Amino acid sequence: MSSEQNLSADVVIVGSGVAGSSIANELARAGISVIVLEAGPRVDRQHFVENFRNLENKPSYQGPFPAVPWALHPPDQQTPNEYLHTSGPDAEAYQQVYLRMMGGTTWHWAGCAWRYLPSDFELKTRYGQGRDWALKYDDLEPFYYQAEAMMGVCGPDPLVEDLGSPRKQPYPMEALPISYAAQQFRKLITEKTPWRVVHEPQARNTRPYDRRPTCEGHNNCMPICPIGAMYNGSYSVYDAEAAGATFVPNAVVYKIERDSANKRVTAVHYFDPDKGSHRVTGKYFVIAAHCIETAKLLLVSADEQSPDGIANSSGHVGRNMMDHTGVQVTFISGDDAWWPGRGPLETNVIDNFRDGPWRNERGAYLVHMVDDNQVDLATQLAISKGYVGRELEEQIRYLASHTVRLFSHNEGLADPDNRLTLNKTRKDVLGIPHPDVYYKLPDYTVRSCEHTRDVFRQLIGLMHGTDEQWTSGYFPQDHPAGSTIMGVDPKDSVVDGHCRSHDHDNLFIASSSVFSSVGTGNITLTVAALALRVADTLKKELVHA
Amino acid sequence: MRKDRDCQSLSLWQLSPNAMRLSRLLRISRRDSLLTGMSAALLGGVAHARAQDQHSASLQTTDHSEILSQFMAVSRRLTDRDTLDQRIGAALCNGILHGNADRPARIQALYALLTKENFASASDYARAAETQDKAFKDVIHEIMTGWYRGVADGKVVVYRSALMFDITKDAVYPKTYATGGPFYWTTRPPDVARPAGQPALSPSKFVVEPT
Repeated sequence: MSSEQNLSADVVIVGSGVAGSSIANELARAGISVIVLEAGPRVDRQHFVENFRNLENKPSYQGPFPAVPWALHPPDQQTPNEYLHTSGPDAEAYQQVYLRMMGGTTWHWAGCAWRYLPSDFELKTRYGQGRDWALKYDDLEPFYYQAEAMMGVCGPDPLVEDLGSPRKQPYPMEALPISYAAQQFRKLITEKTPWRVVHEPQARNTRPYDRRPTCEGHNNCMPICPIGAMYNGSYSVYDAEAAGATFVPNAVVYKIERDSANKRVTAVHYFDPDKGSHRVTGKYFVIAAHCIETAKLLLVSADEQSPDGIANSSGHVGRNMMDHTGVQVTFISGDDAWWPGRGPLETNVIDNFRDGPWRNERGAYLVHMVDDNQVDLATQLAISKGYVGRELEEQIRYLASHTVRLFSHNEGLADPDNRLTLNKTRKDVLGIPHPDVYYKLPDYTVRSCEHTRDVFRQLIGLMHGTDEQWTSGYFPQDHPAGSTIMGVDPKDSVVDGHCRSHDHDNLFIASSSVFSSVGTGNITLTVAALALRVADTLKKELVHA
Repeated sequence: MRKDRDCQSLSLWQLSPNAMRLSRLLRISRRDSLLTGMSAALLGGVAHARAQDQHSASLQTTDHSEILSQFMAVSRRLTDRDTLDQRIGAALCNGILHGNADRPARIQALYALLTKENFASASDYARAAETQDKAFKDVIHEIMTGWYRGVADGKVVVYRSALMFDITKDAVYPKTYATGGPFYWTTRPPDVARPAGQPALSPSKFVVEPT
């Protein structure tokens, strides 16, 4: 079944997350017509909050966001998984979660808004490892600030606390005051180690900002901020719609049509939930559908002209899958009560391991002391230990006030063998294959994780910790990157330094899929900065054409 | 184009996760019935799900005041509390009975043990119960999980009113319900001494799941 209606716009964007919606907003405000096609539904915050409160497994970040059948996403991080099928020696370490719905995965991010370090863009040149990006930090710096202003990022004064990424302007908001638990952690690190604890830059309001309220510390940034004090992609959706952009939910793009020369994209085709097919034409096209889904779409769209998939003359679509695969431990401190879980979820970081000459041998990393309410975990632990009655209540209070959770983001490395392909047998209700990912943790990252474990063991000792529970193997951090890698050479990369496809002049990709290296900071701010740079390029080409 | 394209299945979002589990069964039933013509096996599965639901409904409507009374007495002893909320208790009792067919008999047996001796504490009582029958440990875990986590039969019965939040309310808020105002988290929370009490039951394996 095909639609009689022929939709058209100057720019057609696939995906309504932070990348797609922020591009739509910038273009619409410049008077450019935009259609955004979102595979999933539009859902309001109240439903997610209600779902969370009714969820038995509260730590499940995907739990409040069940997928619709026509736009599946991973239901959890379990292996085997009902949607994202992983294999290889470290299959469990690549069990990423993400959301397919209006506003994208930032519904359940923690608001951590790191700029990458200048060295992250030059990993090959500086350390002989991995790959360089096809742009420099300075190329992105203005767009980093634009993204920070768009999201409303709070962060420290660089004269007081330099995070290593040079700034031309201060953060839009002052740094978030850290919790008592984080204060005690910082005191311990400062007094007893050579390291330091810094404020984590966050897209979270420390004052009313952009019509959103000040953070009230509900401690539920993941999976859902109940009041919208934390930025997420839905705000850029609202802004873009107000500026005139059109968003179509439940529109599952399955084909990318090109001209006879195979140089320009002419249309995308999408299924509605009843598998009615619709064609959308445009002058420019942006795929902003998350690292996993972007590569999947390019591969699904293979045809006689491009038998290996769209934008894939290099053969690198779906390759170089990276993450901040890390290490996690939970233990009971033997020192005074910290009571984690008062305030936002992630506010502080040990950043000493983000860069150094040792990066020629092992990956960088950062360490989070997670400020997570541990009452539910403490209750389950105390019951499992066999406590009842008054003794149970004393244990719950003690464990909830003394539980410490540490995890790390360890630097992955682009390896073409870590690859996303299409599942040959499993398909969704529309007949679109599920994604498969083969993953072997690079030795570079393994060595980084080993270093992290040593540091964690030192920290456990300093806190007189007991009851250590290490997450087995490696810990997926849901920061997938690399599946449409950026590079100067069209023979070994998918997009150029402006995120434009080497193969198709009017096709751009706005996603962590273009990352050439993955650094250590959370990826979202860099995704947003790259997206705003794409918007800038499109504005110049469309307005000045 | 500005208007959302709606479709029937979007009503999924009107459901809570608890309701969604049952809805998923029913949705599959309808679609598969239309597409493949009433699979007998599937109908059996749905019939089972509906029977379970009816069983649950009957537990809510039938007069089972005796077992509820026994459940409440056992619960008060196991929590070392003189009073517990009867309405929450009824919902927890329903969930626990629904989750396992032998639970009515187990609760009756636990109650019989309770009335046989005058136990001075929850720990004394739980210790005696496990000594009498190892199977009581799982039932006691379910009762503790119900009152303290607000969960029975894998479903949330109460969230904010779970006792774990009552006993920690001087320090932390249930997630999504903070009322301390901006930056309340910078202040020093109460200290907590290391407790001297001992477990009453044998330990069980507990694994912290990755999040």
